[in-house]
Order: sequence, then structure tokens, then C-alpha cells
Amino acid sequence: MYFLHEVKQVKHQKFKTMSYREKENIINIFSGLLITAIFAWAVYQRQLDGRIDLTEDFQQWGIIFLIYTGLSIVARIIIYIIFHIINTIVTRKEKIPKEDERDKIIKLKATRNSHYTFSIGFMTAIIYLALGFAPYIIFVVFVISGLIAEIIDNGSQIYYYRKGV
Amino acid sequence: MAKNKNESKIRNNIRRLRFDANELTQQELADAVGVSRQTIVAIEKEKYSPSLELAFRIAHYFNTPLEEVFSFQPDSEN
Repeated sequence: MYFLHEVKQVKHQKFKTMSYREKENIINIFSGLLITAIFAWAVYQRQLDGRIDLTEDFQQWGIIFLIYTGLSIVARIIIYIIFHIINTIVTRKEKIPKEDERDKIIKLKATRNSHYTFSIGFMTAIIYLALGFAPYIIFVVFVISGLIAEIIDNGSQIYYYRKGV
Repeated sequence: MAKNKNESKIRNNIRRLRFDANELTQQELADAVGVSRQTIVAIEKEKYSPSLELAFRIAHYFNTPLEEVFSFQPDSEN
């Protein structure tokens, strides 16, 4: 019991000592994964039920991407509000740090890494297409590479904030 | 020992200058030069080399020449 209490204390301390930007990026990674996983599961269930056919009807992919974008924005706004409330309670700080030159450089480098990742995903999708795989595979590869690119973006930011830029 | 690639070649005396300036806090300096406290922490730990403008702002704030706040450490020759 004492050990668990110690672990809780350390976790609480780590949350408090992490910078606002680091916490923001961690929240981004987990919210991105969560939203995508829930949405993908819902879409997959519809596919299994036969309500949509994603292997042939590419218009459905377009509709799904648009719905996903809208839902993702709304879900992230809600998650951010909850994050701000919890962060304010835990750290007792109300001020959100303004973005300065270091933040901008870190964001640029992270965006570059994310762009490279998505480009690799895009090329993989094209290679799949050239090799004769089913066309719907390219949409699946787009979704996966988009998710990995987002994780790389936020992960890079955490790395640069911790290790220096 | 291998040198950390993220290690900055720019050295600084900000911590000492803050102490001399009536124990100025990092937050006070950050507010005065228009950056976040985390950026001041990163500069002091030599994990981030500031832009020329920010370097001048910091030197101007302490009313000292730039070379008294920052110095350049070239690679040591083998």
C-alpha cells in the first residue's frame, strides 16, 4: 500500500513538473489515438453489418473522412476544455504560456518530421497501388500514416522540449 | 565521452546576472523579454540558443554588453 502511495505521489509530482506544452502534446497523442480508434471501430462495425461497402464505394471514404474531421475537431475541443480544467486544478496556474520563438522552432521541426512520415505513408500507398493491391488499401494506408504522422509530430515536440533544440 | 549533439555551443551567464540583479526570478526575466519561463530555463541549461534579437533583449535588460551575457564556445581541436 505504501509503495502504491509513493507511485501515486511520484506520478502527481511528474504531472506538476511537466511543462504545459509537454502535457498538451501527451494529451494530443492520446486523444488522437482514442478518437481514431473509436471512429475506426464504429466504421468497421458498419462495414461488417453491410450498411456500407468500403471496398468498392469510394464515395463512402470521402464522406467518412469528412465526418471524421468534424467529429475529431469537436472531440478535441471537449478534451482540451477538460485538460485545462484539470491542469488548472492540479498546478493552480491559470495562465497559458504564450507561444514564443522556441515554441515556433520546435513546432516547425516537429511538422517537418511529421511531413516526412506522411510522405513515406503516401509513397507506400502508391507502391501498393502499383503492385496491384485493391484500391481501398490506399485509404487504409492514408489513415494509418496520418495517425503515425500525428504521433511523430507530438512525440517530436516532447523530445525537443526535453532534450533541447 | 561522446558529446551530446543537442549541446549548445553558446555559453551564458544569465543565472549569475539574475542573482546579481536582486535575485530576479526566471518568470520576471521571461516577462521582461517577452518569452515563456520554460524558454529562459532552456537557455540557462544551454539546451536552446536564443535568436539574436532575444539575446540582445536579455543583454539590454541587464544593461550589459552582449558578450558579457553570451559567449561562443568553438569546437575543441583534437
